Amino acid sequence: MKQRTPLLRWFGIAFILLWSLVPLYWALNISLQTDAQAGSKPSNYLPPTPSLDNYSSLLTGGTDLAQSVQQSSVNIFIECAAATVVTLVLATLAAYAFARMQFKGRRVLFYAVLATMAFPAYTTLIPLYQILTNFGLVNTYTGIVLVYVSGFLPLATWILHNYMSSLPIALEEAGNIDGASRMQVLWHVVLPLARPGIISTAIITFLFAWGQFLFPLVLSSDLSTQPLTVVIASLQGRHLVPYTLLNAAGVLALAVPAGIALILNRYIVSGMLAGSVK
Amino acid sequence: MSTSLRIKQQPPARDVRPAPGKAGRGRRLDILPYALVTPLTLFIVGLALIPAGFTIVEAFFRVQPLNPPDEFNGLDNFRQLFADHAITASMGNTAIYVVIGVLLSTVLAIAMAVTLQKEFRGRSILIAVLILPWALPGVVEGIVWGSIWDSNTGLLNSLLNSFHVIDHYMVFLGQNHFLTILGIELVQVWQITPLSTLLVLAALQNIPADLYEAATLDGCSGWTTFSRITLPLARPGITIAMVQAIIATLNVFDQPYILNGSAATGASVTMQTYFISFQNLNFGEGYALSLLITLATLAASLLVLKFVYRPVEF
Repeated sequence: MKQRTPLLRWFGIAFILLWSLVPLYWALNISLQTDAQAGSKPSNYLPPTPSLDNYSSLLTGGTDLAQSVQQSSVNIFIECAAATVVTLVLATLAAYAFARMQFKGRRVLFYAVLATMAFPAYTTLIPLYQILTNFGLVNTYTGIVLVYVSGFLPLATWILHNYMSSLPIALEEAGNIDGASRMQVLWHVVLPLARPGIISTAIITFLFAWGQFLFPLVLSSDLSTQPLTVVIASLQGRHLVPYTLLNAAGVLALAVPAGIALILNRYIVSGMLAGSVK
Repeated sequence: MSTSLRIKQQPPARDVRPAPGKAGRGRRLDILPYALVTPLTLFIVGLALIPAGFTIVEAFFRVQPLNPPDEFNGLDNFRQLFADHAITASMGNTAIYVVIGVLLSTVLAIAMAVTLQKEFRGRSILIAVLILPWALPGVVEGIVWGSIWDSNTGLLNSLLNSFHVIDHYMVFLGQNHFLTILGIELVQVWQITPLSTLLVLAALQNIPADLYEAATLDGCSGWTTFSRITLPLARPGITIAMVQAIIATLNVFDQPYILNGSAATGASVTMQTYFISFQNLNFGEGYALSLLITLATLAASLLVLKFVYRPVEF
């Protein structure tokens, strides 16, 4: 038994590495090849003449395809950044009230917020489309950001509420005795202490926004607001788009979240766990 | 990380408001907390609760934007859904997605969590690599795995051919019904397993080490230790992992949409909701199907909670 356990663990470690990395390696490998190389049988397991041509044609090219990838990359950054900032601000204010203040309706409201997390997000897909249509917000940044914020607020509020509740209250009381207002206490005492919780909420919100597909598919009708995910999906449907370019576009779309996940993973783990215990 | 699973019980809120009476009147309504929660409330009511109410009510209405008027039509939407072969087929497909996805992600999550249970060098790097697929957009995962399943140039065909398992390239997606769903669901499993693993791992790290020491002293085999200690005590984590897998798989959209288009071999109910509502513009039926998916999700989650969950005390 003493020998079998480490062997099993090595097997597990190897499995996790291969499972997570092989598909990503494969997309990268294809994206560095020419069409002819990528079409060879058997496949080239390493790019024979690695080249960034696919990337440069997407990022600097003037074709329709390149322009749609460029514009939708700008869109996805704007939408994710705006949704993250608005969600964080509103969730921080509400979480502070829930964690540290007594008021009528506090419990009911808090449970109502949590209850919305039990429903699948797509429950509200059609009504949100109708509501945004009525307000003229379909195919606008505002519309998309409003929908994202409404979707991410409950989770963000929940994570931040738990984080703030776990902070020692003595410092805040000291602030009060010194005559600081509650908003000054929030700004100067609570926010600095809650920084890890805020970072983790921000990252989780940003990653969720980056991964959205069905909502923007419905709520964005053209390139003025479509995020990269929607454009990549539409390229995939067109058989004229070379397979190597498609993989290059895919690698571009996953470079940002993958970088965040690898570099900031210690913040993500706590947020993921907090987020799923609803 | 191990503490995160116990956040159900919250400490009571403590008021940091300055002692009343300073302003002279002790009973003045404190408006600050209301001001702080108002924006959140507007979002939740306006963009979550009211829309959810819409879905429940309009499921019983005829709603076709290009073909007014909207009128109450009882259970007609539901009847039409069940009379439509594409819809009932998608329900069958979704059931297979759920079964494969929940089983596979749970088994993999337990195996990976056990691998990560004990501290070792490089463990935190391995966790970073583990969560990678969770962080990526489902659409891009569909593209990436499409290059693995591809029938002309895919990695899987190339490997199987090189090892002489097959002598000509195969079509994995879009022909054989079960193979199609398995291939698509594996991509979703790739995405949801990291979270399941962390949930199980968090439960494993609450297990006291002396239980394992006692088992070793008693001469228990590795398997006995796993099946008598690890597995039962990980049940709370496994339950939550299964619930999140059910929610994800019952609502699967990105992966089948990208990998198999609208083809009946792999269409899910959420895809059908999208097609009915935004291609056929029959919102009433779309609402009805959304409502059914939501109810199925809640029911399945509750079933798992009832049959898998057992409270664990140390």
